[in-house]
Parts: sequence; structure tokens; C-alpha cells
Amino acid sequence: MNTAYEGLVTRAIAFAVDAAIINLIAIVVGVGVGLALSILSISDTAENVLLACGAGALMVWTVSYFAIFWSTTGQTPGNRLMHIRVCDADDEAVLSPRRSLLRFGALLLAALPLFAGFLTVLVDDRRRGVHDMLAGTVVVAAEITPGG
Amino acid sequence: MRPVTGAVSLGLRAERGARRALGRRAEDAALATLDAVLASSLGAEAVDRVLASDLAARAVGKALEGPLVEAVARDVVRHAVLERLSHGVLDDPELDRVLATALDSPAAERLLVRVLESKLVDEAVHRLLEGEELWLVVNEIAQSPAVSEAITRQSIGFADQVAGGVRGGSRSADAWLERAARRALRRPPAGP
Repeated sequence: MNTAYEGLVTRAIAFAVDAAIINLIAIVVGVGVGLALSILSISDTAENVLLACGAGALMVWTVSYFAIFWSTTGQTPGNRLMHIRVCDADDEAVLSPRRSLLRFGALLLAALPLFAGFLTVLVDDRRRGVHDMLAGTVVVAAEITPGG
Repeated sequence: MRPVTGAVSLGLRAERGARRALGRRAEDAALATLDAVLASSLGAEAVDRVLASDLAARAVGKALEGPLVEAVARDVVRHAVLERLSHGVLDDPELDRVLATALDSPAAERLLVRVLESKLVDEAVHRLLEGEELWLVVNEIAQSPAVSEAITRQSIGFADQVAGGVRGGSRSADAWLERAARRALRRPPAGP
């Protein structure tokens, strides 16, 4: 079978769509919680604690979003839009939850040096970024199914 | 007494027979007169004058304002008139030909232009837009599952079309970017 690996621009667009979804939902929930809390009188200390909790919830939400989608269908909504899929580099199977978490951690590492970790996608034969190499994953073209 | 009774009943029978014969003659004469009137140009002229008069317009207006329209609509539904028409008359190819000839004629065009230019259409549209029934019907149609499904399908189709365009563009950009990167690093181009 001739596997089609997906390039940097396609993956960046899919990631941008996912980031937009994550942030939109976070903003809606944040505004809702903020409005609900505005009717209560909260001390500065409690407000700081709540902010820290909110930041923690945002991180959990972001990690869960990617880990759950990668380990269930292999496609986040952004990937689905761009018809791409994250899978195991050896047998193209769906990732386990642990491997999904590892890939997300590697993704953060690849982004730290001014996104330089993603540049290997341009020159690698299987179009893998540093995070793909660390987690043993590839991004391939998804089969087009009716309605998806 | 018996002869008297017999004479009276005979008289009554004779009277009934004479009345029946007279009635038949009167009916025949009336029908003959009607036939003569219908066959003459006088009949056609009389019908034309009646139709052109204000009386006819008032009569039609009164009829349309009253419960006649609802009664006719009820009867049309009850007696399945439309179904009968669609099964019988409307399937007839001869009707197609007659309709095509009639619609292609200049008279039909003139009639259509006159109807569209008349105040009647404006008035009808005005009254239709002012009535609540129209908006009830529009709401009913807008909320129907068929319309919702059609809009959803159309929206999904449009979104899919846009996404397809983005996918095509992004894959071209991928190929271009990789060629440039490999050239810069003096690496051989990737296989197909």
C-alpha cells in the first residue's frame, strides 16, 4: 500500500482549526464562569486561586482534547476537516492513550525552540516532525468516508 | 252513491291528465325557446353584456367574500377532485398539446400581461402579505424537517466545497515548501 504522508502546511491548518475550537470553547466557558462569579463577593486570594484553577482546567482541557481524539479515531476535528489522521509509524494503528499523551508532550518540546522541531517535516522522507519521531507516529491521508 | 263516486273520480283523473299534458307542452315550449335563444347571436350578446356589467363583478366579489370559497375547497378535497383530475385528464397527452398551443398563443400572452398589469394582482398580493395565514404557512414550511434537512445538506455541501479548496491549496503549498527546503539543504527531491 502506498501511504501518503501529510506535509507541514496541511498539518498547520488542521492545528489552527483545533486551536480555534479549543480557545472558543474555553472563552465561552470562562465568560460564563466569570459572569456567575461576578455576583459573588470574592477576596483577592480566592480570586487568585480561582485563576490558577482556571489555568489548570485550560491545560487539562487542551491535553484531553488532543489525547482523546488521537487515541479514539486518530482525528481531531481539524484533522477531519483536512482529511488527515495521526497513527502509529509501524502499523498505522490508532495510538494508545499513553502514546497520545507522549506525543502531546513531544509536541510542546518541538514548539519550544521557535517551532524548529516542526521543520524536520520538510525534509524527512515520511514527513515526520521531532514530536512524531519521539512518539513513533506519522500523519497520513485519511480515507474519505461518506459524510466525513 | 256509487255512480256519483265513479263520476267524481273519473272527473279527477281527466283533470290530472289534462294538467300533465299542459305541463309537458309548457316545458317543451320553454326548452325550445331556450334553445332558440342560445342558438341566436342575441344569447351570446346578452351573456357578454352581463359579464361586462358591474353586476357580474359585484356578484363574483360577493361570492368570493362569502363562505362559498371554503365550501368549494372542502368539496374539492372531499370528492378527491384533484386526484381524479390528475389521474384522468392531466395524464392525457392531448391536454398537453392543447395547453401548449394555448400558452404559446399571442392571446395568452396578452391576457397574462393584462392580468399582471391590473390592480387586481397588486391588491391580491397586498392582502396576502397583510394576512396572518401566509406567515403561518411560511413558518410551517420553514420548520418542516424536509426544509431543515435541505438547508443542512446545502450548508454541509458548501462547507465541504470550501474545505476541499483549502485542502488542495495546502497540499500544493506543502509540495512547494518541501522542494524549496530540499533545494536549500542540497538534498535530493522526495520520491512520488
